[in-house]
Amino acid sequence: MTRQWWTLTWLVARREIMDRGRAKSFWVATVLLVVAVAAAAVIPALLKGGPSTARIGIIGNTPSLTAAAREAGKITGTPVAVVTLPDASAAAARLQSGTVDAVLVGSKEVLVKQVSVFGSNGIATTLSQIVGLEKLFAQLPPSAVQQAISQHTTLPVRGLKPPGRSAADRFTGLAVAILMYIILLTYGVRITIGVGEEKASRVVEVLLSTLRPVQLLAGKVIGMGLLAIGQIFAIVATYLILGHAVGATAVRGASTNVVLAGALWLLLGYAFYCTAFAAAGALISRQSDAYNAALPLQIPLILAYVLTYTVIYSTSVNSLFHVLAFIPFTAPVDMPVLVAVGAASGWQIAVSAVITIVSTVAMARLAGVIYGRAILRTGGRLKARQVLRSAA
Amino acid sequence: MAGSVAKVNQVRPPAVDADGGTERWRVDGRDGELELTGLQRRFGDVVALDNLSFSVPPGEVFGFLGPNGAGKTTAMRAIVGVTALDGGEVRWGGQPIDSAARRRIGYMPEERGLYASMKVGEQLEYLARLHGLSAAQARTAAAHWSGRLGLADKQQAKVESLSLGNQQRVQLAAALVHEPDLLVLDEPFSGLDPVGVDAMSEVLADRAAAGVTMLFSSHQLDLVEHLCTSVAIIHKGALVAYGTVDELARGGQLRIAVRVSGDEQAQWTSRLGGLASVDHVSRGTATLSLDRVEDAQRVLDIARQSGPVEQFGFERRRLSQVFRDVVGANVEDIGSKADTPATKEPVR
Repeated sequence: MTRQWWTLTWLVARREIMDRGRAKSFWVATVLLVVAVAAAAVIPALLKGGPSTARIGIIGNTPSLTAAAREAGKITGTPVAVVTLPDASAAAARLQSGTVDAVLVGSKEVLVKQVSVFGSNGIATTLSQIVGLEKLFAQLPPSAVQQAISQHTTLPVRGLKPPGRSAADRFTGLAVAILMYIILLTYGVRITIGVGEEKASRVVEVLLSTLRPVQLLAGKVIGMGLLAIGQIFAIVATYLILGHAVGATAVRGASTNVVLAGALWLLLGYAFYCTAFAAAGALISRQSDAYNAALPLQIPLILAYVLTYTVIYSTSVNSLFHVLAFIPFTAPVDMPVLVAVGAASGWQIAVSAVITIVSTVAMARLAGVIYGRAILRTGGRLKARQVLRSAA
Repeated sequence: MAGSVAKVNQVRPPAVDADGGTERWRVDGRDGELELTGLQRRFGDVVALDNLSFSVPPGEVFGFLGPNGAGKTTAMRAIVGVTALDGGEVRWGGQPIDSAARRRIGYMPEERGLYASMKVGEQLEYLARLHGLSAAQARTAAAHWSGRLGLADKQQAKVESLSLGNQQRVQLAAALVHEPDLLVLDEPFSGLDPVGVDAMSEVLADRAAAGVTMLFSSHQLDLVEHLCTSVAIIHKGALVAYGTVDELARGGQLRIAVRVSGDEQAQWTSRLGGLASVDHVSRGTATLSLDRVEDAQRVLDIARQSGPVEQFGFERRRLSQVFRDVVGANVEDIGSKADTPATKEPVR
């Protein structure tokens, strides 16, 4: 591959970049992705309200109840503001308007706006337990109370296995899977359509009188790939910057190896899939066939992506997912997820990486052959197998 | 096919040309001559190219003619290297066409061949750069050819927004933008209005005068006849006629048209005896077939004895007549029924 070879290939790549870069749809998609990611970084932090204050209403001014409210705050790690309310109707009004989170009605009950379907209402539950305990203590002789308090009233929880990967790692793994899925699908289908357009409009005949098919293929995949990297960069940068600004837990503390695995498989996955999508485009004769030609390549991607959700929110990894992390078609999505949940050992990562690299090279070659043989053949939709069997 | 091949030999021009006496139709190519030697191509049962051989000298407007499905497109695609051959060879300037030579070729495919959503100027610049021009050269060349072809104000327009005629001009500009030394144009006149035909003809003549080797195809033989210096006519992938238009027009059966004043029925021809046969009479003009050129003088003598001769001249054959004489069928008839898949390339 001489300098000349690369010059021509780069010209092709540059045209792709300028062509897509000028399309409104590209920028709309980029902005939508960035906005979605910004929302993903900011909204959870806003909803959680960070270290926001829990406002506990107390009917009547009872010092022991105020102390109980503060104790509940200490246990749940939430600052507490106590609001004294005159009567039950005032309490109901404040609860309805959301200016108090829970109301202690004497030591009779804890009133909230609505009981959560999960049965737990955060600080309200803790409050109910403490006041309940106090009621219990009140029945006991003072010496017994002293004794009980000098010991701890809560028990430590100990896991048999060390804790799994942090939520930050899992979240990063999921983000990689989502990004991979979106990037591969949009760029893959885009490449199929682009190749199909060139073929259907016979532009290829003019181009291939000076270019080799492999240059056209490589230029297209590289050009689109650079755009994809730019888009990914914008998305990741947005997420990191905004996430740090609002103190999102997912941003902090993701392990480097999870991030590196994500980056490696994004690159490999792109090369693997997009050369295949280009070959699919070379098989069609009319532009309307593009979506059908791209469909078979989308199915393993969708499968790999959907199965990701069975792993991310679970402490165990099912064996199907484990196997898929070693198959070239699904590894780019599944392996980073496996790394993120801490279910892949070092050698497994290495083996899957080697399989993916080797199959990416093989796919690029196969796609090159299919593309080269099919791109100038018109007159109907071709089958990959037919093209491979026939001579050049 | 043996019969028509013999006729090919018959219509082949003499080895000496009019102005220099140099061997014009030499076998070993030099300079910018394009030579096609024994081209063979099959698509399944369809023979697209059947041992096709001819050569195109530089500096001529050379027509590559034949009905639809005759194999013109396949041959042209083989020249620019976008289809493989089963046999035979294409040489240009005595050398096989390699990738360096390919950059000196301007190619216009039969239909479209442009990025619809790309701007005219950018498209031309891109194609110029692919053919080895620098960015600055490409910009200059794109502006130059847009201007030459009347597209100066269309440089910023997307190709899809242009009329079909203008799209065709852009396509021609795309083939010319890198100042190629060999032009391969597939049906450049199809779909053009008369103004477009004139503009296209002018550019072709201009390029030929500049010494470019040029091969353009058409299925409308008579429409392009006056443009071409020489032609190769093919049918079913094989050569049926080849030579300069003048030689082909004079070749074959000698015909003269004679009109004697006042003799609307051409009664005078009854006195010809076996000298010539009457093909037809139309408004007093008799078209006669002769065996020898010398007989024409004796026919003229007989005509003058019958009355004042208003018209006397050798009939030129149209190229469609040349085709009919060799193949035995009208080129239009073959063309109309054969939008055959011969030009397509099915997978074997």
